Amino acid sequence: MRLGKRKATRKRWLIPLLGLITGCGAARAQDVIFVANVGVQISTIKASDLHAIFTGEKTRLADGTHVVPVILKGGPVHEVFLKNYCGESPNEFRAQWQKAVFTGQGSMPRAFESEAAVIDYVAQTPGAVGYVSRLSPHDGVKALTALK
Amino acid sequence: MVCRLRLRHARLPLLLCISAAMAWAQDLSGIEIHGFATQGVLYSTHNNYLTMQTSSGSLQWTHGAISVTDSVTDNLRVGIQLHMYQLGQLGGPNIMVDWASGDYRFNDQFGIRAGKVKTVLGLFNDSQDVDSIFLWSLLPECAYPADNESFFLSHLGGDAYGEIPLGKRAGRLDYDGYVGQVTLDLNGGYVKQLSDAGIVFTSAPGGKTYGGDLRWRPPLAGLTAGASIDVEAIDGTGPLARLHVAPFQITAEYARFRRGKWDLAGEYDRGPFTDALNSPQGTLFLPFDVRSWYAMASYRISRKLQVGSYYGHYVNKALDTSLPQNFSKDWAVSGRYDFNSYFYAKLEDHFLHGTGLGYYTSTNPNGLQPNSNILAAKIGFSF
Repeated sequence: MRLGKRKATRKRWLIPLLGLITGCGAARAQDVIFVANVGVQISTIKASDLHAIFTGEKTRLADGTHVVPVILKGGPVHEVFLKNYCGESPNEFRAQWQKAVFTGQGSMPRAFESEAAVIDYVAQTPGAVGYVSRLSPHDGVKALTALK
Repeated sequence: MVCRLRLRHARLPLLLCISAAMAWAQDLSGIEIHGFATQGVLYSTHNNYLTMQTSSGSLQWTHGAISVTDSVTDNLRVGIQLHMYQLGQLGGPNIMVDWASGDYRFNDQFGIRAGKVKTVLGLFNDSQDVDSIFLWSLLPECAYPADNESFFLSHLGGDAYGEIPLGKRAGRLDYDGYVGQVTLDLNGGYVKQLSDAGIVFTSAPGGKTYGGDLRWRPPLAGLTAGASIDVEAIDGTGPLARLHVAPFQITAEYARFRRGKWDLAGEYDRGPFTDALNSPQGTLFLPFDVRSWYAMASYRISRKLQVGSYYGHYVNKALDTSLPQNFSKDWAVSGRYDFNSYFYAKLEDHFLHGTGLGYYTSTNPNGLQPNSNILAAKIGFSF
């Protein structure tokens, strides 16, 4: 009887603990890491510069390199990136780029279906900067630290 | 016959969609192809609006465009956008060059753009024909008249543009200065209004233009404030009369704030000028002192649904402002639903008071009622 009560108490603790562990994992998975072509000289980048680059307002990195922004076509990683670094919904982000394209003031960034494709393109393209999930493998590219 | 014509217009966006879908995601070594197409319907309780028979419902409201852009080098981009529109008796099946330019950006502080270039004036002038980026089916007519958008939309000439960093505390200033030539669209609203009065032009009147825009982007995310000026002159000769508009200036001051699900914007425009029409019977002067403003707010309810409302106000201070033909007050309530990233639908209701904008004598031969409600619905596709 006492054993059963102890088991029930353990379960009560176990459930929030498991929730905490999985919650931390999900939060980490939902953060993004910025990756750049290995030719890019900088290793840190300001969040305001990231916003300007991915909305087409800035075309050069702090080291003077012409930057090629690379994005995901959609999905949770893309949405986390938009929320944390652009402060925009996917619709607003798309509308902003459409305005640039249809007024002749800019070209859409290269967009890929998968994180692996983003990594491949960034690895092969001088000046390319993209983002992937923090948990995603990113060999062959340089990780940039985003400064808030 | 009329029905057949209307069906033909309704088929245009479908054809554009099909050709667009075929061209979608084309990547010919850096060449980008994008496009959009829309089909709308307008219904009004009184009066016929924007040269359409809206009092019985009209489908004569079609837009389509396709753009091709190539980044030749890191600094040089060239492109062209072809555009067609049908708005009642305006526009037509002819495909026009919306813009076609070469753009050389030395750095983020300085770039030049030359060719046929979209004119930056106020918040939305350069993008007013890009339906897919707006919640609204019709932008405020007082600032962005749908029946005359082609006149202000672009100029043949060159722009110098860039940004001036103002430091951490002040943000940055975006600038754009231009000089060039503008022409009235022979199938546009101004020429149509003159032709309703018996003054016909066979070649497009036009003139020189220059102007600029300064847009402040402070460190407060989502806030934009700015001012634009545009100077224009128009001259044209028709078989029966000559049109002369001495150089006049249009000014615009505006602000926009986007935060979270909210988008707030407002603009004040002013344009004093006088049309002089010379004919064998003498010279007729038509004075204008246009003052217009709008305030708009929208809210995104969900990823797919956005709603909003605006009030647009126009008055010609050069004439008796108590007469309905010299003012226009427009309350609009709008909703937009995005089916996916490519297709959307819009529904909008306008409560119009005054007849100063958007009405034509040829489609209202029995005169105008001072008030009218207008229902607009649209479907669109972009890629």
